[in-house]
Amino acid sequence: MNVIQQLADAAARGLLHVDPATWSYMWLVYAVFIALGAFVTFVFVAIFAGPVSWIERRIAGRMQSRIGPNRVGPQGVIQWLADGLKCLLKEDLLPALADKWLFLVSPYLVFTGMFATFVALPWGANLIAADLNVGLLYLLAITGLVVIGILMAGWSSNSKWALFGGVRSTAQLVSYEIPSAFALMTVVIAAGTLSMQGIVRAQGGWPWDWFIFRNPFLFAAFFLSFTSAVAEGNRTPFDLPEAESELVAGYNVEYSGMRFLFFLFAEWANLYVMSAIATACFLGGWQIPGVTPEQIAATQGWTYAGLQLLSFFVFAAKASVLVFFVIQIRWTLPRLRVDQLMITCWKYLVPLSLVAILGVLVLMVLVPPRGVVDYALRGVMVAAGAAIAITYVRRIWQTFMADRDLYRRMEGKPLWFPPYRLP
Amino acid sequence: MGPAEIHERLRTAYGEAILEFQDALLDPVVVVRPEKLHAVCRFLRDDPVLRFDTLRLVTGIDRPPETIEIVYHLLSLTQHHGIRLRVRLAREDPLVISLQDLWPTANWHERETYDLLGVRFSGHPNLRRLLLPPDWVGHPLRKDYVRPAEYHGIPTDRKTALERRVTAVAPAMHQAKDVPADCFMLLNMGPHHPATHGVLNFLLETDGEVLRRARAEVGYLHRGMEKIAEGMTYPSTMPYTDRIDYLGAMFTNHGWALAAERLAGIEVPRRAEFCRVIASELNRIASHLIATGALAMDVGAYTPFLHWIRERETINDITDRICGARLTYNYMRIGGVSRDIDAETIERIQRWLDHFGPMIDEFNRLISGNEIFVRRLANMTVVPAQDAIDYALVGPNLRASGIDWDLRRDEPYSIYPEFQFDVIVGKGWRGCVGDAYDRYWCRMLEMGESIKILRQAMAQLPEGPVRAAVPRVLKPAANEVYARVEGPRGEAGFYVVSDGSDKPYRARYRTGSFTALPVIERLAPGLMLADLVVLIGSLDVIAPEVDR
Repeated sequence: MNVIQQLADAAARGLLHVDPATWSYMWLVYAVFIALGAFVTFVFVAIFAGPVSWIERRIAGRMQSRIGPNRVGPQGVIQWLADGLKCLLKEDLLPALADKWLFLVSPYLVFTGMFATFVALPWGANLIAADLNVGLLYLLAITGLVVIGILMAGWSSNSKWALFGGVRSTAQLVSYEIPSAFALMTVVIAAGTLSMQGIVRAQGGWPWDWFIFRNPFLFAAFFLSFTSAVAEGNRTPFDLPEAESELVAGYNVEYSGMRFLFFLFAEWANLYVMSAIATACFLGGWQIPGVTPEQIAATQGWTYAGLQLLSFFVFAAKASVLVFFVIQIRWTLPRLRVDQLMITCWKYLVPLSLVAILGVLVLMVLVPPRGVVDYALRGVMVAAGAAIAITYVRRIWQTFMADRDLYRRMEGKPLWFPPYRLP
Repeated sequence: MGPAEIHERLRTAYGEAILEFQDALLDPVVVVRPEKLHAVCRFLRDDPVLRFDTLRLVTGIDRPPETIEIVYHLLSLTQHHGIRLRVRLAREDPLVISLQDLWPTANWHERETYDLLGVRFSGHPNLRRLLLPPDWVGHPLRKDYVRPAEYHGIPTDRKTALERRVTAVAPAMHQAKDVPADCFMLLNMGPHHPATHGVLNFLLETDGEVLRRARAEVGYLHRGMEKIAEGMTYPSTMPYTDRIDYLGAMFTNHGWALAAERLAGIEVPRRAEFCRVIASELNRIASHLIATGALAMDVGAYTPFLHWIRERETINDITDRICGARLTYNYMRIGGVSRDIDAETIERIQRWLDHFGPMIDEFNRLISGNEIFVRRLANMTVVPAQDAIDYALVGPNLRASGIDWDLRRDEPYSIYPEFQFDVIVGKGWRGCVGDAYDRYWCRMLEMGESIKILRQAMAQLPEGPVRAAVPRVLKPAANEVYARVEGPRGEAGFYVVSDGSDKPYRARYRTGSFTALPVIERLAPGLMLADLVVLIGSLDVIAPEVDR
């Protein structure tokens, strides 16, 4: 029972005074509500991709000791609106020798491939457009559309650099789908379902209930799938299709205006999609600590709505941490070379993800669920995860402090603004 | 060995080939019969005592009405000595044998000489114009050269170009037609490409990601610096030298000043020498910051570059205090420097050095030890020592290939012998000697050596004037001099021929990037596209140095 169907049924009962189960024109109401749902999701993608672009640029600025966009609106928060408007007003260039129709269509294909994933993402306890029983499979399959769009863009531009980007992208996405899918299969095995809500329900609110901390193999599978997802999203260190210093911009080099923006839209939306998938599959999704899904379902009225909202925020918070992490990686790491990229995939990620699947299977047979060994394993994994997180934060903090002291000694004034205040 | 002894040894072996020994010149020259040139050069290269392994410079000098001279600067990296050869050719149809089979670096030098002076070289495999468009008329460095009024409808005169609204578009400078492209993709990398560090064009023949051939097409930034110098007085050429190497303007300034001072016999005050060294070493750090940072950016890491830009900003502020400029300094004067360095600036440099030392460590944590970065650079694009010598690489590129050669120590100038510093030589830190990582790491370590020199220079800074008394109109007697400094991209050499007037008769600039580009052509086959980017970045090629 997903939220759109619930709403449509409620509307049919409340406004039209008909019984949704028997009324023969019910499909019309469903169609209207599906369109409404699509519109809401579309708006959400648009307003999500926009601010994320601003957030990314601000974070990048911070990491690179510069300011970043801060002029449009307070702190530059609506910089993305200005950029979008600018792109709308720009001329829509079509290269003279381009393959016209492919060139015009490909941005939308890329965008559709990315947008369609939002259908199956579990935003909250009942907030999901369509809880498909093959949800995860659908997510993996629909992103394949992006490959076609990018290859079309690269080919139809009739530019050798764009072709380079398109071909690189195809090779990369096709290769990395395999470890990505294999690593996610561990979760399917552990949860026993492909449905996204089912996977989330199989976990719990507390970290030791999350799949990532269940056992070492799932722990590894998280990193494998996330690495592959970063590669599928063309992000640094796997951003070869748009390698700035090699291919200038890669497959989108001939695009301008709104069509160019659609590529970027897809890229930033994808940032959220990959984080959301990882959150749902490994990090407990929208599960609120201390509240079980059954308790949520049992509530009524405002409590129900409040809990839905809370679960949404839990999910968004976890995904945002991952988004930040991906942004940070992007502005830290150099880029791999093409052969190194393929070696990473085929020689390391694919075998390791197979090992992870095997390991999860073996542990499922050997370790009885909710037994002593199971909880001991979870405890060890949570401790390991906490140690990694603490080391990560401490290293950042130490570098920040060292940098600050050095600058203060040189200039006699504070280097930069404290982390909580931006210029 | 001094020039006289080298000449003696040459005379005993090839007496009949030598026409004259011009030992009255500041840098003595042996005049050789053109038909014996190749034999003499082969002897000079292969003789176990002389061992001239490097061809520094090929210069054509037009001497109307009858002759054109070609001057070859030879250098021995092992024996630490140098000599110049001169051949005189008929001006009507100058023809001389090519030396590119002895020293591959001669290839481009000879192409340039052909381009600008119309000298043909027999046996040259690819004698095409280098800097000018293929259909350009005339050879600009001939003394009787008249510039065509227009080129494909574009007026060459600045005034008319501004008055007439120019609508004509020049044809593509280099045609891709002469490269066979059976089943391979021809790719123009440049002239506007972020990885080429300026306006350079590489014509690539690729088989997928793998390069089959790369050809550097240069000349987009050719401003005719050498021709301009012929029409300028010695002091007024100084600002032009800034633009030869805009990332190391102090060094080109310094080289030009050295050349003019040696020609005119001017003593530079001691404090001025210190000022020069301080400014130069700051500039060296600034240039290496760009080189290493841009290499990181070429590999895909954007943040290290901006961290170095921040450090460079402080250097720019300091040079702003020193000479009033941040990029094209024009700081050196013939006989000194333009302004003194005051105590506050010294203190500021001190404070910045205290800041910069730890910052290098932070940078290394950020990028130098990064696994991806190391794997992209280590064992990639290796320049073997023999190639480095053959192609006359200079500076950090040469040292990274394992050759211990630094002009500051081996052909000392200014006050460098007074300072303690190490010459960084490539050791194959992460891979083999001469790979891209060595070139990168050499530059990183050289920054540390520059810090050492800066600290010593600032501690010893003497009092006194910063400019010698120089005649208002500088008219050095007819002579020839070759002055060179160790710049961030290697040797910045200035070969100046004076004729007694207030303008140089011929000025020739030798730069590191010019000799580094042919190496890219040599190493490119078999590399991947991304490696070519690394190669260009690690050799620190910048376009204005190539084209001048």
